[in-house]
Amino acid sequence: MEKMIELKNITKEFKVLNRREGLKGSFQDLFSRDYKIIRAVDDISLSVGQGEIVGFLGPNGAGKSTTIKMMTGVLEPTSGELMVNGRIPYKNRTANSQEIGVVFGQRSQLWWALPLIESFKLLKDIYQIPQKDYDDMMELYGGLVNFEEILHKPVRQMSLGQRTLSDILAAFLHNPKVVFLDEPTIGLDVAMKSKIRELILELNKQKNTTVILTTHDMGDVDALCERIVIIDKGKMLYDNDIRHLRQFFGSYRTLKIRPNEDMDVVEEHLEKELARMDVRISHDEEWISILINEEQIKVLNVLKKVQEKHEIRDMQLEEISTEDVIKKIYREGV
Amino acid sequence: MNRFKKYLALTRAGIIECINYRMSLAVMVFGNLLYLTLIYFVWKAIFASSGSDVVNGMTFESTMIYLVLATALFNFMEMYIVWEMGRDIQSGKIALNLIRPMEYRNYLFWSVSGSFVVNFVFTFIPTFIIVLLVTKGTIGLGINLVYFMIAVILAVVINYEIDFIVGTICLYTESIWGINIMKQAVVTLLSGATIPLAFFPDKLRTVIDYLPFRAIYDTPLTLLLSDGTDQKMILSKLLISLGWAVLMSVISRLFWKVSIKQVTVNGG
Repeated sequence: MEKMIELKNITKEFKVLNRREGLKGSFQDLFSRDYKIIRAVDDISLSVGQGEIVGFLGPNGAGKSTTIKMMTGVLEPTSGELMVNGRIPYKNRTANSQEIGVVFGQRSQLWWALPLIESFKLLKDIYQIPQKDYDDMMELYGGLVNFEEILHKPVRQMSLGQRTLSDILAAFLHNPKVVFLDEPTIGLDVAMKSKIRELILELNKQKNTTVILTTHDMGDVDALCERIVIIDKGKMLYDNDIRHLRQFFGSYRTLKIRPNEDMDVVEEHLEKELARMDVRISHDEEWISILINEEQIKVLNVLKKVQEKHEIRDMQLEEISTEDVIKKIYREGV
Repeated sequence: MNRFKKYLALTRAGIIECINYRMSLAVMVFGNLLYLTLIYFVWKAIFASSGSDVVNGMTFESTMIYLVLATALFNFMEMYIVWEMGRDIQSGKIALNLIRPMEYRNYLFWSVSGSFVVNFVFTFIPTFIIVLLVTKGTIGLGINLVYFMIAVILAVVINYEIDFIVGTICLYTESIWGINIMKQAVVTLLSGATIPLAFFPDKLRTVIDYLPFRAIYDTPLTLLLSDGTDQKMILSKLLISLGWAVLMSVISRLFWKVSIKQVTVNGG
């Protein structure tokens, strides 16, 4: 497999002014030379092949976006070697940008006041996409998403979901070799999330585009990535395929139920009832939580069992969170 | 040619964007009229209190022609680059614009060039035609128009480069308000956009002669209002403008290059 991205011992440090408190402190800051160095990315090495989808997982402030910004050429690493598609991104920013596509979660690269189609035409000219390639791409898009309704809508009138969708389409438009998606599903509802995941997966398959994706949503990773990189506090904690991570974690989900009867009674009853199943039961004031390993038993079976005896007022299903994963890695190693 | 097409595409998008905001266009034309009424009465009072028809070598009529055209010129010259850059920097959107397949300075220039065209067509040309009709023959319609256009193009470049330099300062300060107000005050005053340079005291005028600002408003308007016969004066003015345009773009290019390195190295 051809190497698309190569990071060797990449470190990125920021110089930040130590700010003091209050009005007086603010005035002192005007003349302050008191900087502290923050290491946002600490000695990360990574190699990504063509056509791979790699998920960068980590909590807020872990250094995911900084890493992406280095790979796109916006930031220059403090030390280490970095190659994207055979180029050093920050040295060849313009040439590099011709072959990458970027979606930065909350921000849109589209033209606010223009209908989507005009933004596309503009990108076509800016990236100098040949007419035929452009037409092919539009045809492909037409088959993947139903975008007739948004094509003539100005971006500022779009819903967040439509805008994210448009931004992703825009990022793939010039058929780049690598697409960077920085938290593409942030703030979207479940239906839109899955729509966007399908779209990314399909575009990756059809165009063999390398996709680098950051998220703190395990669902994104589950749906999209074969390979996961977990970053926390700038350090790389994990780099392996998702199956390995699943084996390590099992596929745990938490079923939360709120029964009509007294909690303690129900819990005691469930302990007995589900004794043969591999589950862990606990409860707080509001919910009874049942931790289920889905490789052993299906959530629906547990739910059925519970419903046989008890009336359920409300229920929730929770995925294991990124924070839990990281905690567990810290505690137990990989 | 192909290379140029991508820039013109940005101009085109800018034009569409501008026209989309019709209300803002209407408000601009209206605000313009209001401002012109204001300066009409201010200068009427100045001339009345001086007690003579000619002040500093200018009549009331020639002052008004100058100021009306200066205002019209200001309306399309002022592209709010500093705001644009400041917003980009503060919101972090600059990261997206840095990875467009063209340099940021070019991207920005051609992005605003659309509003430039719209404002030229919707405010400068109508104002010019009105002035022409009202003053009947005071302004010549000959070779001076050509000189004017050349001077305007150079003025646009100089103005853009100054804005870009000031905008680059925002990379360090991360705030725009104060810097922009100061820049606007300096440029509009020293360029002759609000008061004809003839009204300035001699010492200040000598200083202004050595600054780039007069090339933005004073030079194009002087050339437009001249009869186009004083070749030596015209040529020297155009050469000075050209010199400033080259110098300013070199400075702004270097300053940006050094500054953006700061950002990409130290983060922002």
